[in-house]
Amino acid sequence: MSEAPASANERRTFLGIILAAIGAFAAGAFGWSLFRFLSPVERSGEDSQVRVARDLVAIGGVHFFAFQGRPAVVLQPRAGEFVALSAVCTHLGCIIKWVDETQEFLCPCHAGRFAASGQVLGGPPPRALDTYPVTLEDGDILIG
Amino acid sequence: MKKILLTNVLFFGAFVLLTGFSAAASPSVCIECHGGLSGQLGEIPTAEWHTSVHSRSRVSCHDCHGGDPTDYVEAMSADRGFIGVPVYAEVPAFCGRCHVGVEEDYRASLHGQVVEFGGPNCVTCHENHAVQVASIDLINEISCSRCHTYDKPALIKQEISDTEAMLSRLDNSIASLYRVGFDTGQLKDELFSTRNNFRRLFHSVDIDKIRAETAGFDADLEETKATINALEETLGQRKIVGGAFVLLLILGGCIALLIRRTYENKE
Amino acid sequence: MNPAKEAIDWLDRRLGVRELVHKNLGGYLLPRNINIWYTLGAVLLAMFGLQFLTGTLLLVFYVPDTEKAFASVTMIMNEIPYGWLIRYLHVVGSNLIIVFLLAHMLSVLFMGSYKRPRELTWVSGFVLFNLALVFCLTGYLLPWSQLSFWATTVATDAAGAIPIVGDQLVAFMRGGSTVNEATLGRFFALHVMGLPLVFFALIGVHLFCVRRVGISKPPFGDEYRTTEIPLSFHHEEHQDGVPFHPNYTIKDMAMVFFALALLVGITFFAPWLFIPPDALEPADPFFTPPNIKPEWYFLWAYQTLKIFPNELLGLASQGLAMGFLAILPFFDRGLERRPAHRPLFVTLYLLGILLFVGLSLWGHYS
Repeated sequence: MSEAPASANERRTFLGIILAAIGAFAAGAFGWSLFRFLSPVERSGEDSQVRVARDLVAIGGVHFFAFQGRPAVVLQPRAGEFVALSAVCTHLGCIIKWVDETQEFLCPCHAGRFAASGQVLGGPPPRALDTYPVTLEDGDILIG
Repeated sequence: MKKILLTNVLFFGAFVLLTGFSAAASPSVCIECHGGLSGQLGEIPTAEWHTSVHSRSRVSCHDCHGGDPTDYVEAMSADRGFIGVPVYAEVPAFCGRCHVGVEEDYRASLHGQVVEFGGPNCVTCHENHAVQVASIDLINEISCSRCHTYDKPALIKQEISDTEAMLSRLDNSIASLYRVGFDTGQLKDELFSTRNNFRRLFHSVDIDKIRAETAGFDADLEETKATINALEETLGQRKIVGGAFVLLLILGGCIALLIRRTYENKE
Repeated sequence: MNPAKEAIDWLDRRLGVRELVHKNLGGYLLPRNINIWYTLGAVLLAMFGLQFLTGTLLLVFYVPDTEKAFASVTMIMNEIPYGWLIRYLHVVGSNLIIVFLLAHMLSVLFMGSYKRPRELTWVSGFVLFNLALVFCLTGYLLPWSQLSFWATTVATDAAGAIPIVGDQLVAFMRGGSTVNEATLGRFFALHVMGLPLVFFALIGVHLFCVRRVGISKPPFGDEYRTTEIPLSFHHEEHQDGVPFHPNYTIKDMAMVFFALALLVGITFFAPWLFIPPDALEPADPFFTPPNIKPEWYFLWAYQTLKIFPNELLGLASQGLAMGFLAILPFFDRGLERRPAHRPLFVTLYLLGILLFVGLSLWGHYS
């Protein structure tokens, strides 16, 4: 060897950097698997359509169900006309209630009011409820 | 050694009694009585049954012969559904209560059509109490030549041997995936169903029918195989990553030891 | 100027951290001839930490319900990303911990380190070992497999041999006359809450004892002298020793790396080593699988129960053996620690290991 031998300190620093890199890499890889472990699992079928029996939704009545893992509601304001809406209030995320007498939705948290079409009628909600496409098939309502 | 066995039996006997599962975990009263008798109604069938696939699948005496396995007195009463021994020509119906599909194809076959006149029934090839997991080796010259020449069975055996080999390969692959923790329930069911239908098919002993339909089974098996291959590939990838990790950790340990050596001069 | 230095200065002014760190790391001198067996403590500590981490993660998805437990474990193994990794690390880790604990205890026995004045270190360590076994016992019920169910049935049943209270004791442990959902409930609570709390507290006690009394000098080499132990408290100093940090901590770290390599190796290539086929089937209280065997570290006890004509005698002999080990330092009071000068002890030591291995193999193959 032509070069002067490295001092113990230099060698230690060099080895220490490698060791730290190995440790960091191992911890990072393990950390990544932990992150994936705790990430929400994508369940197949969550995006697919939901089928609701037509009998469940009376004229002027509502039916609550889960759509894509979230509360949703389908209603029949006039005979044969169906509307599907997200049941989550756009203000702070409470679940809206149907008020039969006034034929509108009321959010029990801060008295936000929504029409049967999802439009805001009053109160703090910043925007209308999300609507979902509805199709009719045999005796069922297909949402999504 | 005997003594160990005895204490072992006592030991397990004790907890079985304690846990109150005596009726369920111990052999049925059928075996308790018949196991002590000699001959064809005693130790021979009980000993044979213990070696059988039925025993391993927990299909016990009363599941075929009827009766009540919990009651010494009424065990063989007709009121409790006791059937006893079927006459020769009724054996296919006897086994067919569980093996429905195979019975159907067998009945339509040349074998099944002549059973009334002493043609082969189920136990001719499969044995009765000592029944084993069916395999292609049941079709062999010695067995078939008891009744007729071996040329036609040989043709059938050749026709189904590739598919049978594939079935057993896939079965082994599924077993090893299961062993390392994969949930193979669906794969097992798929393969079980394909195998059942395939085995039905060759009970027809109709070479033209077997030729025509084998391709369909091969296609089903290819699908199962693709799923298995995907899982095996996942397992292989895991092993590569795991191996790399082991090497990395060993390297880390060695570097730590090298660092340790840099201190030795000063000590 | 330097924010890191300022932060440490700030802490130092309030808590005197520099002195604390120096006293316990750089200025803490270990005996010059300290050997590799002394790293097992650090390895075990790392393994316990990993068990705690993987256990907490499994707890996220595991459901302690007899109807759902097995399915939840199957889900962890198959649907949750890297669930198989976390679970196998936990399973393999628990078995390796028993291996390392045995090695730790055997090395301490061989070097006579358990002797006066380190009786409390030994006793706390011995209790930790027993707690680790209870950890394992309670842990393998949780997946509610055939192995879980029947191994627990057999293990808890052994207590039935104790006269008079035996049956009540068995029922109390199980929360009923048989292993059932009540057993799962209490084993679960013990495994994830009760035991970890007691265990980590006891590790604290153990480490305190180790640090307070001082590391024992390995009884090897020409310069080793048997010294009189003073009657009053005395911290064993090693004047010209090597600093704990970094000289020995780096060796600890090397061994932790090797232990992790072993753990990862088994996890990826041979997890079935510690998972018998019965562990793959859901529990069926109405079907006892043939040849059900306890885990390898309980085989000696299982075989002892089988060879004694009377279960009570078997149980009593196990109790005696464990009790004898627990209080060993209180009657083994000689000062001599060099194995070469303790022929009787070393003979018993080797015979004891042979007996353990022999009984375990016998239990495995019988």
